[in-house]
Amino acid sequence: MNENALCTKTHEYVLEQGGKYEIGITDYAIEQLGDIVFIELPEVGSEFTKNEAFATIESVKAASEIYMPISGKIAEINEQLVNSPELLNDENYEEKWLVKIVSAADQVEFADLLDYSDYKEEVE
Amino acid sequence: MTKQTFLHDKHIKLGAKMVDFAGWHMPVQYSSIIEEHKTVRESVGIFDVSHMGELIVTGEDSLPYLNKIVPQDISKLIDKKAVYCQLTNKQGGIIDDLIIYKIDENKYLIIANASRIDEDLNWMVRNKVGFDVNIINESHNYSLLAVQGPKSAELMYSLGIQELPGFFYIKRGELFNINLWISRTGYTGEDGVEILVKNEFSEYLWDKLLEAGEKFGIKPIGLGARDTLRLEAALHLYGNDLDEDTTPVEAGLSWSIPKDKTDDYNGKSIIETQLKTGGMKKLIGLKMLDRNIARHGYDVYYNNEKVGVVTSGGISPIRGDNIALAYIKPLDNLTVGSTIQILIRDKLHNAEIVKRPFVEKRNKEIKK
Repeated sequence: MNENALCTKTHEYVLEQGGKYEIGITDYAIEQLGDIVFIELPEVGSEFTKNEAFATIESVKAASEIYMPISGKIAEINEQLVNSPELLNDENYEEKWLVKIVSAADQVEFADLLDYSDYKEEVE
Repeated sequence: MTKQTFLHDKHIKLGAKMVDFAGWHMPVQYSSIIEEHKTVRESVGIFDVSHMGELIVTGEDSLPYLNKIVPQDISKLIDKKAVYCQLTNKQGGIIDDLIIYKIDENKYLIIANASRIDEDLNWMVRNKVGFDVNIINESHNYSLLAVQGPKSAELMYSLGIQELPGFFYIKRGELFNINLWISRTGYTGEDGVEILVKNEFSEYLWDKLLEAGEKFGIKPIGLGARDTLRLEAALHLYGNDLDEDTTPVEAGLSWSIPKDKTDDYNGKSIIETQLKTGGMKKLIGLKMLDRNIARHGYDVYYNNEKVGVVTSGGISPIRGDNIALAYIKPLDNLTVGSTIQILIRDKLHNAEIVKRPFVEKRNKEIKK
């Protein structure tokens, strides 16, 4: 996982990449979920507020809602993961982001996000 | 306090992810549920199911007593034979589902669900008035290891077992100089055995079986794969698919109930009526027609009307689609081949009613 990512306590991350933000779930979350078998992502163009559920990830055992770390509008979704959810468990697969968003979030929205290193400490 | 089996430390050392299940701290997976599932379907897996209950019924009235508490006919059991049973209440509801083994004249072994041992014992003691029987809970003295998969018999024979018991039989045996009981039973739909052993030998036996099983591709299997395996085989899970408000007829277990049993048993009049007319609900098998997963508690719809609820659901690693067990109103036009809907996150998704089991069981073709 990119060390510059900012994480939520509910195990999502956000990472700025060329003016957009990538959003996904942390490596720790993937490890905890185990075999991932279904991913449902929102439509491009839909808008979400911070902490709103925008996606569902199902492992063999259970369905989990995924929440927005910051507010924004969906610019791109990772179709490859929708078609092959098991890629999220694949250590060699790099593109683990779920969606890319455009966001006008201000510093207040970022205030409660954790640096990846702090997040790691928190979960371990 | 969460209980631990005698193999608890072994699971931790094997890197298992642990969960609380029915008051026990149990391994849910060691590597991956899907991989473990496939191991059992393709070669052989070993499960620690020591949380399950072992009750012994002895005494002169054992037979009439057991015949009073289950719909099955225990008088048909020959020595060392087992039968799948339901412990029913007066309304025919299922207090627990059990396997009863006839060990000897006036000695029976009952394997009960971990989550139900207390309820079972309560009910069994309440029903023993007037019968000369003793009920002993041996659960804390025994460990239970399940060895399941197409290579399980080959593994057992490689350890010097002369002859395995036939399907749903139990026999005394010896492995690595340990005396134990081996039964040809399981909860996976595959050929396999369950080994009942005194707690003090379980760690040694577990290690030895893993070591000897290596050349057969053996892996330890957690409760996660145990659940997906039993679902593919459409075997009921107590608490999900069976409860005190569900009769064996409603649960699709009519095949297990003899029509000619003369003894009275708890719930007999209701169960006998339902055998003729059907119950208030019926269990069905479903396959999802899209990639969504039906899960426990999701509602079932037909013509925009709620007709039932999913009790177990998930993926089928072998079929590659998503399957479920559900209870629906017994509507005549809902049969195998009908399309119904499951409400998943506020949207209806099509599912087709299919035959159970979802995969072919391979445990009945075994030779004695």
